[in-house]
Amino acid sequence: MLVVDRIGKTYPNGVRALDGISLNVAPGEILVVIGGSGCGKSTMLRAISGLDTPSQGKVVLDGMVITAPHEQIGIIFQEPRLLPWLRVADNVGFGLEQCPKEERNARVARALERVGLADKARVWPRELSGGQAQRVAIARALVPRPQVLLLDEPFSALDAFTRADLQDHLLDLWADSKPTLIVVTHDVEEAIVLADRIMVMRPHPGRVYEEILCDLPRPRDRQSAAFDFVKRRVLAALDRSLERAVITDDGETRAAAGGGLWW
Amino acid sequence: MSLVSMTASVEPAEVAPAPSSASVARAGSGRLLRPALGLLLPVAVAVSWELAVRHGFASGRLVPPPSVIFQTFADLARTGELELHAGATLSRVIAGFAFGVVAGTVLGAITGYSALTNRLVDPTLQALRAIPSIAWVPLFILWFGIFEASKIILIAVGVFFPVYLGVMGAVMSVDRKIVEVGRAFRLSGTAMVRRILLPAVMPAYVISLRAGMGLGWMFVVAAEFMGASTGLGFLLIDGQQLGKPAQIVAAIVAFAILGKATDWLIVLLSAPFLRWEDRFARV
Repeated sequence: MLVVDRIGKTYPNGVRALDGISLNVAPGEILVVIGGSGCGKSTMLRAISGLDTPSQGKVVLDGMVITAPHEQIGIIFQEPRLLPWLRVADNVGFGLEQCPKEERNARVARALERVGLADKARVWPRELSGGQAQRVAIARALVPRPQVLLLDEPFSALDAFTRADLQDHLLDLWADSKPTLIVVTHDVEEAIVLADRIMVMRPHPGRVYEEILCDLPRPRDRQSAAFDFVKRRVLAALDRSLERAVITDDGETRAAAGGGLWW
Repeated sequence: MSLVSMTASVEPAEVAPAPSSASVARAGSGRLLRPALGLLLPVAVAVSWELAVRHGFASGRLVPPPSVIFQTFADLARTGELELHAGATLSRVIAGFAFGVVAGTVLGAITGYSALTNRLVDPTLQALRAIPSIAWVPLFILWFGIFEASKIILIAVGVFFPVYLGVMGAVMSVDRKIVEVGRAFRLSGTAMVRRILLPAVMPAYVISLRAGMGLGWMFVVAAEFMGASTGLGFLLIDGQQLGKPAQIVAAIVAFAILGKATDWLIVLLSAPFLRWEDRFARV
């Protein structure tokens, strides 16, 4: 169980990026954090990862307070951030330095197989496409078998096709060992494809605005009415979180500026 | 050249069913041709000067023709003088280069890594860098005598600055995002240096080593001008004082060969570490 206990973050220039965020994430749960830009999504993720320390509050994983990067917590960034001087296989095995060589090679080979890049093991990162590079980054983060995997807008730099492809792929990989996933995104469809629970955040300072459970059966059909229904809910919550009017044209949904939304 | 192009055109006919052999042969001839292209200009100049002197258009007394230079070079080599002088110069450069590189690497890495040390040390070093290094010569002679020590120290000073600047700049500009990957994988300080920082600064380091080596060769001449009984610099001075231009040019040629060889050696030794580079030019 990952517990985020009232974390806040104030930057040295006085900007308050996060204000008392609390949440519990169950093992194996997929939590998607969504919100407008500047609402502290990435700040929160970095605090959970231990890369940054929060100004207030604490992050606790199974009773251990996280103050620095932890072996049970993996992170995937918006960019693949592969090490250009290591071949793909060595990049994937980067976190397994302590492992005996044979076990490391076997695990790397299996991970590359799993992301469909077994034939690229001996290739330099510069020779990969954007989608392939991000798949290698996913393999690199999963290979040490973390209990929690954090993803910071992992697919936002990719084209729509590759993105949808990688979302399905991520769920596939998740099903292998069911780690807890916390995904930060600004893509509503991505949120609904992935999430068990969607957390909408609001900016200035970053707070939890609303939590939306998302229990559609998997695999999720992006074209289904149920999917669309959740999408409207999330969009409406986002709009309200930004104190903007919701513009609708179907006569069923209506909203006033800053007010609620009636279904 | 014609031979190479002939084999290139003949080969695919002989081994007709293998389509790749044509491209292999073409790549092979390209590999031979490309360096040859660079030889075209110097060879043309040398041949025309040789012909001009042979046919009496020029005396060749102050600018000796290639044949005379080659003869002088061969004589120097035969008597063992070339080996003696080139060896003396080379050992000075290597010793000075070694000291300069070690000092430049260590100080560059520290000032690049630690902002405090940078503020403390870098301004002084930059001020020292502004002094033309030859200006140190009189002082070095007073301090370290006229023999090897002062020469090697002068060369080391020349090598130090490009290496120091290169390493410092490279360490400071290592991508924060890549360093963060190291942090996310909980690398210790030494592991961070070994697995992230060192490989990341490698390309810039090699360039600074090559620049340092170039300056090393420059400063060895200055060092040998200030009084030496051996070395290629001594051959230069000796040739000037005794009016032997061919000896001067022969020494210059020796410098060119040694300088190019040491530079090539650095490139060769560093190549395995730089194969990952995504760069514009492929050598």
